[in-house]
Amino acid sequence: MNMTRKQARVSSRMVFVWFILIGFIFLLAPQSLTNKFQFAFVHIFRWPLRIGRNISLSARTERVLTDVVSRREHNQLQNYLANVTEELLQKHKKVEKLSKLRDRLYAMEGAKLMTADIITASTDGHNELIINRGEIDGLGEGQFVLGDNSIIGGISEVSPRTAKVRLITDPSSKIAVKLGKLETVIQGDGNGSVKVPLLSIKHKIEIGQEVFACKKPGFLDSPVIIGTVAQCKRDDENPILWDIMVKPACDISKLTDVAVIIMNPKE
Amino acid sequence: MRWLRFAVFVLIVTVLQASLVDVVAVTRLNIKPDLLLILLVFFSIYSDTSEAIITSFTIGFAADIIGPAIGPQMLSFGIFGTLLAYLHRVITIKKFLYKSVAIFITGFLAGVLAYFLTFLKGEPSPSNIYAVLFGTCLYSSLAGPFLFLPSAWWMRIKTHRFGRR
Repeated sequence: MNMTRKQARVSSRMVFVWFILIGFIFLLAPQSLTNKFQFAFVHIFRWPLRIGRNISLSARTERVLTDVVSRREHNQLQNYLANVTEELLQKHKKVEKLSKLRDRLYAMEGAKLMTADIITASTDGHNELIINRGEIDGLGEGQFVLGDNSIIGGISEVSPRTAKVRLITDPSSKIAVKLGKLETVIQGDGNGSVKVPLLSIKHKIEIGQEVFACKKPGFLDSPVIIGTVAQCKRDDENPILWDIMVKPACDISKLTDVAVIIMNPKE
Repeated sequence: MRWLRFAVFVLIVTVLQASLVDVVAVTRLNIKPDLLLILLVFFSIYSDTSEAIITSFTIGFAADIIGPAIGPQMLSFGIFGTLLAYLHRVITIKKFLYKSVAIFITGFLAGVLAYFLTFLKGEPSPSNIYAVLFGTCLYSSLAGPFLFLPSAWWMRIKTHRFGRR
């Protein structure tokens, strides 16, 4: 009896040790390798995942009354207007400089906008989306992703049929931006907002000021809106710096589809 | 243990956790119950020790599949699920309140370890991680014991049989 009990206890411990080992192998394995499990799960269960997400989105929409659709359209148009205005400003500057070079008239000229459905979204802690387009659709790491005509993040990983979008609100996301005449970097705070770190108080920042993603050769030809300054106060820990929070230009949690900017597509 | 039922159950719950559970999210921090944590505590309480170890690590792996990285949750769920299973040998967790407390404490400790391991893996952590973790554990501990009954029905587990072992 004692022998049997001892044997069972040893086998439990062995099971535990084996699983711990497997866990550590997964933990230490490169992210690019372990991501394949996540992509495979999303690919296999894409239909129930999408249906579940649509249901939860529609439930949220009902909860916040019926003006959401019009508000989203309003936001889309507002973002479009901001982009066009900024682009116009840029063009005016170029004309003023009499560059006489032929420029592209529109931000997206020569670029392909690949629309994609969101399969899963994680907006708590790590802010990521998984979309139903991948390498075979021309997606690659670093490409910008639009939601309601505003930048919401960039492609962080791709598999043949799916891709991971790292949102601007993710703590590991850093994007070069234009804030008025100032060029700086924004970083996600993991709580649905974005902060502008290490910005001296000598710069004049106003609440409501628009923040644009800077041009990035090969990825973005013209500034595109990211959000607006929602809070600007002196940093409690370092009073010579601003504590600036930027509110994304669109409600990322309510998005059902996005568009990926593919500059100079092969086809 | 009916392993096929367990596999189907974990898959369904993982898909629900990744998609539909957002319906019941509350506050600006998007706090929602962690169904996989509830399952972890359920199987740790109502299974034999060996089975509890296997189910804990499997549920942790499922949590990793829908999480930011593979490994952290598998290890943290595995360790604390196993500890709970051993603890259940000496402490009876039968009352609603005890089940809630078990879910809360297991969830909080497993969450802290998972975030630490995620940090070790080089993934950044959000600024208000402890507030989110506290909210998630509290929500799960309130909702969890109610979900034990359908879980027991699906797994054909007679809950009254499991006391101290």
